[in-house]
Amino acid sequence: MILPRFDVLVPESLEEALEMLGEHADKGVRILAGGTDLLVDLRRPIIPVHVPRCDGCAKHPGGMVYSTIDCELWLSEPTAHAGGSLRNALQDSRRISPQYLISLHLLRELKGIKRLDNGSLYIGATTTIREIAHSEKVRRCWTALAEGADNLGSPLVRNRGTLGGNIANARPAADMFVPTIGLNGILKLQSLGGERLLPARDFASGPGLTVIEPLEILTAVIYPAPLSYSGSSYYKLANRKALEISTVGVSVSLTLEAPDGPITDVRVALGAVGPTPILAESAKGILLGETPDEPLFKKAAQAIRKDARPIDDHRGSAWYRSNMVQLLSERLLKIAYIRAKRNK
Amino acid sequence: MKKLISLNVNGIAHELAVEPRRTLLELLREDLGLTGTKKGCGIGDCGACTVLVDGVATFSCLTLAIQVNGCSVETVEGLTKDGKLSRLQQAFVDHGAIQCGYCTPGMLMTTTELLRRNQHPKEQEIRKAISGNLCRCTGYQKIVEAIQEVARSENEEI
Ligand SMILES: Cc1cc2nc3c(=O)[nH]c(=O)nc-3n(C[C@H](O)[C@H](O)[C@H](O)COP(=O)(O)OP(=O)(O)OC[C@H]3O[C@@H](n4cnc5c(N)ncnc54)[C@H](O)[C@@H]3O)c2cc1C
Ligand code: FES
Ligand code: FES
Repeated sequence: MILPRFDVLVPESLEEALEMLGEHADKGVRILAGGTDLLVDLRRPIIPVHVPRCDGCAKHPGGMVYSTIDCELWLSEPTAHAGGSLRNALQDSRRISPQYLISLHLLRELKGIKRLDNGSLYIGATTTIREIAHSEKVRRCWTALAEGADNLGSPLVRNRGTLGGNIANARPAADMFVPTIGLNGILKLQSLGGERLLPARDFASGPGLTVIEPLEILTAVIYPAPLSYSGSSYYKLANRKALEISTVGVSVSLTLEAPDGPITDVRVALGAVGPTPILAESAKGILLGETPDEPLFKKAAQAIRKDARPIDDHRGSAWYRSNMVQLLSERLLKIAYIRAKRNK
Repeated sequence: MKKLISLNVNGIAHELAVEPRRTLLELLREDLGLTGTKKGCGIGDCGACTVLVDGVATFSCLTLAIQVNGCSVETVEGLTKDGKLSRLQQAFVDHGAIQCGYCTPGMLMTTTELLRRNQHPKEQEIRKAISGNLCRCTGYQKIVEAIQEVARSENEEI
């Protein structure tokens, strides 16, 4: 199982990276950050195709075999005797195999965590999940993000994986993407023409799909400064504590006017219960302007449950996921409330 | 087209021409013959291929050689000094923390990083640190005990 053939370009500045992106756009080019999503996706070890080994086999319609097709073969010309399905598989794989990867690892300007003058938090796109998990700044004021980082993959995944990669990859369960939406993170997207800012909640358009333009690079995420009496929390529900994709993820951010309320802002983001992370709009209608207490959180959680659009899969049934959305929302509202009270 | 990279492996400087798609794992095992580093899953799930890159535990199967150009890499071969096992390696032997041994090089590298960062980790910290390194044989208990032995002592050497 080896990687398909590609060239790796190593720009030394963001501008150079953007130029390279434009230059090779027509030949299939991908940005490489930590590679913990991309390099896995590029390896397709086993493709179910019918490999005809003899005439008789080729005539047999049920003769489907699972064959390990080496990536070398993917990129070589299909042999004359190969069956139609094999040829299609080869063509498909050629389409998904980029000719160029642009590695961002030398771009220091994309790395690091800093507080801006206006109090908001600026995290460069290639900052690793590990750095975020270890940052006291993040944990103190943007707790939900730190809790996402704590629970992503395993220590080895956190050491290589990056914030930008997690968001650009746009999986509905992504453990940094969901709290980023919950914390109202703003994405900084750079192209040669200039930069644009986009709320994280508007970024994903489907599982693994985003509205990023082909010639744009995600350079940073900006998290607005928390107001007084704000608190946040993220919980990843999964079958194991490490190396697991979440069954349900919930991120809650809450702001109070004073330690005892009323609630002046609330954002609840849900992961793994729809084709993209979901911002649960109904939470606002029920909670804004109200004095926080347990019955109120219970009522809000019932409404949030209806915002989820889960499906059945091997990680859990839609029914189970809906129940967990409700249960976790109620618990996390309480936790965010307790934290908000303390954060003057 | 191959590209020229330079890196330091266990204290020895190397200059190598590598194919861009070559992983650090392939470079270590096939180009440098350092077969202590193992390949398990090839997709980041098992940790058998763990090495230290500039001191950070890194799965070499999902790291391209080009990405570590100019870096310093430590593998399990580098833990042994003058034919003598490191204290951590000896503790693994003494505690029966090695059965088939396939996970051992990765476990040792991950743990070496942990102990350099935190000389006296608690049991929970140890378990969390090795949670990306799978062991199919030992049930982890003996591995944890071996690490605890080194973590208890005041000797700074790992
Ligand atoms: C064993 C294992 C376990 C994992 N567990 C989890 C988990 O529990 N939770 C979770 O959420 N994820 C998990 N992941 C997925 C992955 O580790 C994370 O999503 C990680 O944050 C991806 O970051 P990266 O830098 O490695 O991305 P890459 O693989 O480098 O890139 C991912 C995608 O984003 C694009 N991209 C990257 N950076 C940019 C940029 N700056 N601008 C534009 N496009 C960009 C790439 O082109 C690619 O399409 C796991 C992965 C592995 C291998
Ligand atoms: S071989 Fe690298 S993590 Fe399994
Ligand atoms: S000793 Fe066999 S996998 Fe750990």
